Amino acid sequence: MPLSSQSSASTVAERLADIVGERHVLSRPSELLVYNSDGLPGYRRQPKLAVFPGTREETIAVVQLLAAEGLSFVPRGAGTGLSGGALADDIVVIGVHRLKQIISLDIENRRATVEPGVVNLRLNKFVAPHGLLYAPDPSSEAACTIGGNVAENAGGPHCLKYGVTLNHVLAITVVLPSGDVVELGSRTGERDGYDLRGAFIGSEGCFGLALDVTVKLTQRPQAVRTVLADFMSIDAAARVTSSIISSGIVPAALEFMDGPTIRVVESSIYAAGYPKDAEAILLIELDGLEAGVVADLEVVRQICLDGGARNVKVARDDAERLKLWQGRKKAFGAMGRLAPHLIVQDAVIPRTRLSEILAAIHAISEKYDVLVCNVFHAGDGNLHPNIAYSADDPDESERVHKAMTEIMRACIDVGGSITGEHGVGLDKMGYMESIFSEPSLNAMCELRGVFDPDHRSNPGKVVPIHSCKEWHSVTSARTREQALAGAHAATGEPPPLAAKPAHPSAQ
Amino acid sequence: MSTETIVAAIHESITSRAPLRISGRSNWLSAGRPVKAQKALSLREDAGVVGYVSGDLTLTVRAGTTLAEIERVTGEHDQWLPLDPFGSSDGTIGATIATASAGPLATSFGLPRDLLLGLEFVNGRGEVVRGGGKVVKNVAGFDLSRLLTGSWGTLGVITEVSLRLYARPKVDRSFIITLGPDERATAALIRAIAASPLAPFSLELVNGNAARRLALGDKPQCIVRLGGNSAVVDVQLKALSQLARSEEVDQSIWTKFRELDRDANSVIRISSLPTRFLGTAAGIVADSPPDVVISINPQRGVMRLATLGTRESSSTGSAEDSVPTELLEAGKDSHTSLIFEKLPEDVWPVVSPSVVADSLSRGVRKVFDPYNILNPGILGD
Repeated sequence: MPLSSQSSASTVAERLADIVGERHVLSRPSELLVYNSDGLPGYRRQPKLAVFPGTREETIAVVQLLAAEGLSFVPRGAGTGLSGGALADDIVVIGVHRLKQIISLDIENRRATVEPGVVNLRLNKFVAPHGLLYAPDPSSEAACTIGGNVAENAGGPHCLKYGVTLNHVLAITVVLPSGDVVELGSRTGERDGYDLRGAFIGSEGCFGLALDVTVKLTQRPQAVRTVLADFMSIDAAARVTSSIISSGIVPAALEFMDGPTIRVVESSIYAAGYPKDAEAILLIELDGLEAGVVADLEVVRQICLDGGARNVKVARDDAERLKLWQGRKKAFGAMGRLAPHLIVQDAVIPRTRLSEILAAIHAISEKYDVLVCNVFHAGDGNLHPNIAYSADDPDESERVHKAMTEIMRACIDVGGSITGEHGVGLDKMGYMESIFSEPSLNAMCELRGVFDPDHRSNPGKVVPIHSCKEWHSVTSARTREQALAGAHAATGEPPPLAAKPAHPSAQ
Repeated sequence: MSTETIVAAIHESITSRAPLRISGRSNWLSAGRPVKAQKALSLREDAGVVGYVSGDLTLTVRAGTTLAEIERVTGEHDQWLPLDPFGSSDGTIGATIATASAGPLATSFGLPRDLLLGLEFVNGRGEVVRGGGKVVKNVAGFDLSRLLTGSWGTLGVITEVSLRLYARPKVDRSFIITLGPDERATAALIRAIAASPLAPFSLELVNGNAARRLALGDKPQCIVRLGGNSAVVDVQLKALSQLARSEEVDQSIWTKFRELDRDANSVIRISSLPTRFLGTAAGIVADSPPDVVISINPQRGVMRLATLGTRESSSTGSAEDSVPTELLEAGKDSHTSLIFEKLPEDVWPVVSPSVVADSLSRGVRKVFDPYNILNPGILGD
């Protein structure tokens, strides 16, 4: 019963509607339009159906139905991802946004169990009155879901000190693509055996769907200080970043914005009071015990001044602090002012190489005559070069993609990674072979095969399918959805960025 | 020795159908279930620093590098790998990651999985596989690094690891608080510490037997390690003095601490919600069997019990004799997990035949070690 035929799609839609109710199944192309991209608008894929279960039981029943029918699906949180990871190419989207219960909160043991559709910031607001916080804070925190955070192993500015999602998730109840339900990790303690929870985190929807997630909560720090240091040279700011890191102080966050980004933010509604004439600013946050923060603040201030900072300002109060952060967190949004499309990278480099890589990025942007805005987690070496462009202009698109490919190459060449927090998705799949050998990619495929033997959960993402030795040879004719490869009517689709183009059946 | 040597050993093992007993420096072969192996494969010779840029606070080493060597190399730059698993610093980093072994510093710096950036391993087909990377943040590909951590060599022979380092704290001091017989007072002290500004690097409760082994007398003790810049430590010291009378001890206490279960014939960890077992734990510390050495990390919710060699060996006694009854009871509680590190050989099938019997774990094992040659049986079948 190929889903590609209209009649079977409507039968499946009816059966899904029997589970979740008619209003929670979408099948008309016009209704599905909103699900045809994620936060990276350059990629578009039209789903066949979208289903939105409202309870755990409904979710399991939906997955079981799809399993019985041999149909592929893509789990989707809020769709704020930046890798094209939540796109469904003529298959079913399972949206989790209705699964938004905070199931339990254990204040004394500092943990909470939540459904996957709970929005990150909502969880934080919920636990704040108890002096607690959930540390991973992606810039999309106001919209993104915990389920999506787990799938992507999401980070955020404060991950510099507190760690990423994988360091804060204790247990996950998962419905596997087969419809079986398993508990990974332990809600109550540590356990032995394989760290399947660790394997699931960051699996980008390819290993199944989380039904609930138990997270560790962190005590709110006694004191927080946010510092704004501005520089008349990018290089000086990069060197100061490296100096702060090598001083051994671990700031809660250490963020970098270059001149073009500052000016975009300052002319938007998110204006934070950054000096518009600066070539770079660092936003440095220190937290912990008051006395310790005060001592570290002095060291950081001195490093900034010695490194050529023009001004080093400490936010006077919470309002000023939040304003400084607002500008940073909404910077991607502000770039919408520049052009209709945005491409953003997520490479990570060794922190001592920041200065040379930023210089390389600058040279590449001049070579291809594109405007690169750099706003990123400098303390982690996690770069986010952004290029705003119009995908409708083929010449500009080509220059943008060439520039991005060269930037990525430069980052890989200094021993970096292709993605620090956004995930591989569709966007970076072509680069996987640049950093992983064939056996490594095959091992990842095999691991996926344990969770999802038929590769029905988020097919065609993360690992290029031609890297999956056994699966590819045995099942090349099996999954009908893959036969639809190339059928996507994307507008402004970026060309393959990789040195090696992805295998056709991987799309 | 190199990755190629390991690859050759694995190919040889596949051909001759001779399973391997994989180890670091073979210091801890008594841990884990009995291994049905015919040949030893030690990583002892595969040691050394591959890459260390102190400014990046990252380190890549071969798996056979000892923790002592890592301490020495990073110490030259005033940095450290804050990982202090039980055993001696003669143990290797490969074995530490493979067994996910952690010590008191895990309270503040996390478990091995939290400090690991990436690794290289050779799977059971003799293929060289890499997971993760060498930078501090990385989500490229499925997480093979976490999967291998704690897999006890059964999914691959770890040959190289990349780790996150920290700057050595400017101040690093340790204090003891002598605990009385009243378990409620102990539980109250731990609660008070949790509610105070204290954020100890390490916090461990030890019973009288353990205290004796640490040369701290024979009364139960609470050992607190405070570190950071001097302002941070001063503030915490002040807070500590308001809670209890404490006495400073030499930092070498932690070296002795790591050797607490030397010559134990069984080592068991109990893990649960910190609050759930706090009362019990305090009671156990106050009143424990004469030959059991106990340390408790109340903030992690982990209690570690070592039964010393003086107890009747299991060849003459039953499993129940070797494992304190209160532990077996605790294990029946669904909120508590028992993690067995070391037991007399014949006790394993009774108390913990396998921790990898679920279908996902079996599936993982099958794809990474299809010929069943890597430490077979150490985690059970």
